[in-house]
Amino acid sequence: MLLAAVLEPAGPGEEVELSVASRSIALELHGWARLAGHAVVDDRGDGPRRLVRVRRGGSRRVLAGPLPPPGPGARLRSGEFHITDWRAGAAPAPDEADPADGFVPLAAVAEQGAPAFQWTLSRRDQVWADDVARLVEGASGAQWDASRDVPWREAAGLPDHLERAVCQVMAYLAQNEYAAYYVPARFLGQVHPAYAEVLLWLASHVHDEARHVEVFTKRSLVNGGRAYALASTQRSLHALLRERDFTSAALLLNVLGEGSFLDLLEFVAAHAPDAATATAARLAHRDELRHVRFGLSHVRRALTRDPSVETRLVAAVEARSGQLTGMTGLDPLVTESLTLMAAGSLQAAQVAEGARAVRDLLARMAANRVERLRAAGLGERTARYVSDLHTPNLM
Amino acid sequence: MPEPARALLVGAVAYHPRVVTVWEGFRPYFAERGLDVDYVLYSNYERLIGALVDGHVDLAWNTNTAYVAAEARLGGEALVLGMRDVDAGYATVLVARAADGVRGPADLAGHTLALGSRDSGHAAILPLHFLEAEGVPLAEVRLLRFDTDLGKHGDTGDSERRVVEAVARGEAMAGALGDATWEQLRVQDPGETAGLAVVWRSPTYSHCCFTARPELDSELAGRWLELLLEMSHDDPAMRHAMDLEGVKRWMPGDKSGYGELTAAMRQQGYLR
Repeated sequence: MLLAAVLEPAGPGEEVELSVASRSIALELHGWARLAGHAVVDDRGDGPRRLVRVRRGGSRRVLAGPLPPPGPGARLRSGEFHITDWRAGAAPAPDEADPADGFVPLAAVAEQGAPAFQWTLSRRDQVWADDVARLVEGASGAQWDASRDVPWREAAGLPDHLERAVCQVMAYLAQNEYAAYYVPARFLGQVHPAYAEVLLWLASHVHDEARHVEVFTKRSLVNGGRAYALASTQRSLHALLRERDFTSAALLLNVLGEGSFLDLLEFVAAHAPDAATATAARLAHRDELRHVRFGLSHVRRALTRDPSVETRLVAAVEARSGQLTGMTGLDPLVTESLTLMAAGSLQAAQVAEGARAVRDLLARMAANRVERLRAAGLGERTARYVSDLHTPNLM
Repeated sequence: MPEPARALLVGAVAYHPRVVTVWEGFRPYFAERGLDVDYVLYSNYERLIGALVDGHVDLAWNTNTAYVAAEARLGGEALVLGMRDVDAGYATVLVARAADGVRGPADLAGHTLALGSRDSGHAAILPLHFLEAEGVPLAEVRLLRFDTDLGKHGDTGDSERRVVEAVARGEAMAGALGDATWEQLRVQDPGETAGLAVVWRSPTYSHCCFTARPELDSELAGRWLELLLEMSHDDPAMRHAMDLEGVKRWMPGDKSGYGELTAAMRQQGYLR
């Protein structure tokens, strides 16, 4: 290994003389050198030692130029290594990357002869958000555990009608979280490895959503309850999965869908009849906030850099809306279940109060949706138009 | 109408599935340079030699044992059309347990020597030949042979691995194997080889070579050799196949490195 390290930087034909203590090692060097493309050109005794002269062959061990000199090291913040700080000192994410590149970690030198890859997302504008690295840091620091961080014992003892309502809302949430899981998961495999932060981000997004599916499914199951996986919800989510454009998907999922979910999860946390449900909603809400921020940041960046993106985004919303013309509102079973959760009892006055709370929720969602679309960089009129076309299923 | 360029058919032995990858990697290299090279795989060298002698293939990618046998059947007129850099200067080594204090072949008398497949030039035929020349009284040496994968002339390395295991377990005082195989085992199986040391290295000889019948069209033979020698390990398109074949540089090759093996095979009854 040492000899290989000495010979590697030497030029073809250069010779290295070794003094070895054992005759056995000298005997082995001949075979080793031949296999490595070098040659032993002299081998003689020198007292108890042997002097072996090895001539370097012409072959390169790695098909690449010499490694460049070391770059700047990481600037640590109180001992923490943030990728943004490395980017700032060494190399910003490239505007474009060769779609055929392989798995080349940041600042590594690629060897020739690797198979050609075909990354479809190989331009920075297609995937970037200026705060993506910060969002990744947030995601890493905010992980939680759906088995241990929820007070599952507190979920017991609800009256049947309320347990049924909670289970139905949980099934609905879990259905939507499945879509929020599959959409970034599909893009994950298309992003060029040069955009390491985006890959880390999407991985955290997928992981978050997997945990959301887990926690809402568990809340539904904890007392043995059963609920419907509604076809209208499936229809809406099926249409979301068809979107192939990263930025359009970010608008539909992160800004519109998960944006609406922020309001919904706040509602569930506020009206949850038990601490387990409230905790699950609160923990998921924390993650969704990050996802919405990424969506806003990415779409705003895309629109700033290329205003024509707006046409593409509106077309995507219109296309999805066109697939959902049969949907007139949130599924009645979900609306009723939310109402019962907010009512807390079957008393007429409280049910009416619950219904009002749900109506308020839907109004708040519509208003916030327009706000978020404006924050994403759409003009007032377009924002209203897009908001009106958004799926009644909320995601 | 011009005659279509003649294809050059190479015969090789399928000692491992990677042989297909190697030749699938080599074919386009020659094709892109205007030489239509195709290949046929055989399960053993005896059949490959027969195919070469009978004209079913133009070139045989032979072990040294196969080359010597083919050369004998072709009346000493065979052509050598290339070999790998590792094939020139090949040697057999004797390994023993370092703790046993074996100094060299002279210590073998009265003890056991492990050998690889009996049709392997480097792990069976040549070790006996060279050790006898060193004055080892072979009649006083018990031979422990591992005749696995016969017909493949030691290509699979299986018998040599068994030789090393036998020495490590103390079933033999020393074992003979190719120096290239030993170096590979050193890397692949550091545990098994850790307590062993090389105690002797044979004179060098040539190993594999491309062998042709003497009547092979000289222009075709020349073009083949020219392209073979131009094949570069620094060519990203070729490196993988060349690594699988264990070659960094092709050499023209010649007959000079096969004298000892020819004598050994004659003496040990492998040649009529």
